[in-house]
Amino acid sequence: MKRKTIWLVLCILLITLFSGCSRKNDTGKVYYLNFKPEQDAAWQQLAQKYTEETGVEVEVLTAAEGQYEQTLTGEMDKSDAPTLFQVNGPVGLANWKDYCLDLSGSKVLGELTDDSFALREDDKVYGIAYAVETYGIIYNKTLLDKYFDSDFSTVKRVEDINNFDSFSSVVREIQSHKEELGVQGAFTSAGMDASSDWRFKNHLANLPIYYEYTERDITSADKIEGRFLDGYKNIWDLYINNSTVEPTALSSKTATDAATEFKTGKAVFYQNGTWEYGNIKEQNGVGLKDEELGILPIYIGAPGEEEQGLCTGSENYWCVNARASQADQQATLDFLYWVVSDEDGTEALAEDMGFVAPFKMALEAENPLVKIAAEYVSDGKTPVSWAFTTIPSDNWKNALGTALTQYAAGKGSWDDVERAFVEGWESEYAAAHK
Amino acid sequence: MNSNLRRWAPLFLGPTLVAFCIGFVYPFLHGVYLSFCRFITTGDATWVGFNNYIEALSDPSFVHSFWFTALFTAVSVIAVNALAFAVALALTGQVRGRNIFRTVFFSPNLIGGIVLGYIWQLIFNGILANFGTALVLEAKYGFWGLVILMCWQQVGYMMIIYIAGLQSVPKSLYEAARIDGASRWQLLRNVTVPMVMPSITVCTFLTLTGSFKLFDQNLALTGGAPGVVGEGGSMVYRTEMLALNIYNTFYGPGSARGVGQAKAVLFFILVAFIAFWQLRYTRKREVQL
Amino acid sequence: MSKKGFGLTVLFSLISVVYVWPIAVVLINSFKDKTAISDAPFALPNGESFAGLRNYIVGMTFGNYPFYKSVLYSLIITVLSVALILLCTSMCAWFLARVEAWWSRALYLLFVFSMIVPFQMVMYTLSKTADTLELNTPWTIPIIYLGFGAGLAVFMFTGFVKGMPRELEEAASIDGCGVLRTYFGVVVPILRPTMISVGILETMWIWNDYLLPYLVLDMGEYRTIPIHIQYLNGSYGQSDIGAIMALILLSILPIVIFYFAAQKHIIEGVMAGAVKG
Repeated sequence: MKRKTIWLVLCILLITLFSGCSRKNDTGKVYYLNFKPEQDAAWQQLAQKYTEETGVEVEVLTAAEGQYEQTLTGEMDKSDAPTLFQVNGPVGLANWKDYCLDLSGSKVLGELTDDSFALREDDKVYGIAYAVETYGIIYNKTLLDKYFDSDFSTVKRVEDINNFDSFSSVVREIQSHKEELGVQGAFTSAGMDASSDWRFKNHLANLPIYYEYTERDITSADKIEGRFLDGYKNIWDLYINNSTVEPTALSSKTATDAATEFKTGKAVFYQNGTWEYGNIKEQNGVGLKDEELGILPIYIGAPGEEEQGLCTGSENYWCVNARASQADQQATLDFLYWVVSDEDGTEALAEDMGFVAPFKMALEAENPLVKIAAEYVSDGKTPVSWAFTTIPSDNWKNALGTALTQYAAGKGSWDDVERAFVEGWESEYAAAHK
Repeated sequence: MNSNLRRWAPLFLGPTLVAFCIGFVYPFLHGVYLSFCRFITTGDATWVGFNNYIEALSDPSFVHSFWFTALFTAVSVIAVNALAFAVALALTGQVRGRNIFRTVFFSPNLIGGIVLGYIWQLIFNGILANFGTALVLEAKYGFWGLVILMCWQQVGYMMIIYIAGLQSVPKSLYEAARIDGASRWQLLRNVTVPMVMPSITVCTFLTLTGSFKLFDQNLALTGGAPGVVGEGGSMVYRTEMLALNIYNTFYGPGSARGVGQAKAVLFFILVAFIAFWQLRYTRKREVQL
Repeated sequence: MSKKGFGLTVLFSLISVVYVWPIAVVLINSFKDKTAISDAPFALPNGESFAGLRNYIVGMTFGNYPFYKSVLYSLIITVLSVALILLCTSMCAWFLARVEAWWSRALYLLFVFSMIVPFQMVMYTLSKTADTLELNTPWTIPIIYLGFGAGLAVFMFTGFVKGMPRELEEAASIDGCGVLRTYFGVVVPILRPTMISVGILETMWIWNDYLLPYLVLDMGEYRTIPIHIQYLNGSYGQSDIGAIMALILLSILPIVIFYFAAQKHIIEGVMAGAVKG
């Protein structure tokens, strides 16, 4: 008798423990798994504002750097799965397609300024880009003008830098007269630390991929031939041999190091993008004033590059969880529409996060780099699209990064870089499409 | 007593058993089941038979991580145990301030693997920078880096166990051997080592399974880097150990989750086999007094 | 003291310095400006690179998640889990050791078996189970720790109980003590040293554990110290290595204090645990 009572009590205890906490929610709520750590604070604030205004609960979780895929996998399997998440283009979409709601006909889709910002496949819209970004070689106007005014310069106007040859002679002349110009190098250190190597293994690699795609007239590839790898080598050699530090020191240099060098006028050129404005603008007397900032296209010696513009695109797409409850999906769509159309939302996107958002109501960002990017387009230069979103996997980028670093340190040959680029692409593509 | 106690099973066994089912038995069985499935989330698993196992075994990165782990384990088990034994031997001898040394040597054990990894990353990179290279550039740096880290962390712990073993050896045995004219080397080989065999069993077991299952330190120190495209065109992370390889397979591209689970099952079988074999092997060498 | 003893003392003093050196490097760098760290990690801070308490201040508030919260959660999780493990598994072990039946023997073997299972084997399904049962908060995660950590604890306690004479328990029983009174009045006091060893081993594991809480906890709200540090490591080029150094130091501090306070027990605990193994 006693034994039975104890069993019973124990069972009841357990049941209450496990079932007592389940909750119900009919109004729907939003759970956003954010990708960009640097915008975490801005999203949290925006979420709070939305909740205050509408009473709808919005939770924002940001994955740790490099952990987005892991976090997404874990979270998607939970009972409270994210209702809003991100994929980084067609490659990311392949994994999560079954979980992406078709956004055709949604109000937020109608707000897009251009249909190319929708991530489409099989007549369905799986994702919506929310930030258009541009990168190139940011330069310090004051220092570059000082070079133009010097007697050793062969190029006298920034307009005359329009291909790899002219650009490389500017770089070499700056490097060999660095003392006279008061700099430590033409380029900031091309740091290959994990915080910085994406600038080269990913963004810089875009150029050879882009040119090959254009030449072959394709938008993605299961095999890459590496037709423009000589150009990749040209620009990489230029970066590593004309920077503030010896090529052997690059392996442990960080993004912070490079930004600091640029901010303090130790280097003239800095490959980075519009998102970097907040880090390099003048703050507390350090940094560059808006009128001192310029940005050049990245030239690699490809034919016809005189007409080439900056690299513009997006790799962040919003997706709505197709497995979420209908109420949650609706709440999420409403939230997205609010973000892209309401005053608070657009202000946060443009100012707090510094995005150029491809939506009709988007505010203009207070970012001089964005303005210069727009000028390139209005001057009729062809923007370089972000072909790197079709890179088959992160493994590919990492192998390329290692090969580039070893090459810079004199511990590896360019053949290794080519192998990582070409053979790595093929095997990683095959692995991802099994 | 016995029958009296049985009635209390729900109270004495119940909580642990329930938690054990939640925290181990069910996840374990579910894991075995999922290793035969293809899935992105557990909700949409479809049965694929042994496909995942075939894929796991034909994955060059898995094979590489196995050999890397095996080599690392072999080196670190020997290094840690040899150092720990030597230190323990010295510290049970005539050394002033042995308690202080004991305290110091043991202390790295209290620091977590993630934190340890970051500390040593800074140190190794600081040293290697003088030679124009870095930890993540060559697999050999990562390998020896892990070995050094492992020694730094584990020697103190194993030393404590060896000290306990050494102190339990009866003094009379040494005296008897000395009277028989045994040299210092003979004393060590024929008296000390056989007598501390239980400690050796425990220490090899702990270092063996610990090294084999290492994850946090691996993740924080190198994260598996460098990732290199080999001759065959396939990409391998050169310092990726088994646990990290499984983790990366699992949380990497969507289609590989079942493969990750299959790798985990293989990993488990391997660890179980090694642990069993090692215990049998060293237990046989223990002497009973 | 012999000459050899002196030589060894000197040698060990040197090794001790090498042992403490990594921590010293962290301490030094936590006071340096972040850009000075990668340039010269071993240099002492000078006038230019000295950052004062900046790293500590940034570190405490960095990443939109206050550091003190992760300390608090680490503390709660560790204390609750260890207490739960000690109480439940010692009871379980005593029961298994004293009740002779095929199933108690089988259960014991199952616990021992669980000791060698690598976490990767259950990581995914465990986090899923934990989520379904809402065991994803610092208050409930101890149940997971009890489940996954039961193996070692049951093993150690059972080993000890088997070596304990039954006479005391039988005497208590004849004196009319119930099972509970026998357990708490007679068995627990004898088990105390083992409890300390098990407690220490489990504390070291749970306090430093990264993957289990990372996969199980509801991360928007709860982060432990290792998770927090992993979070800080770089976010698109903004990795503030100075702040990380400061936090690493702060995260080691509680454990160092704990160590020096309970040093004797810890070392004895490890010794006792090993002999049982």
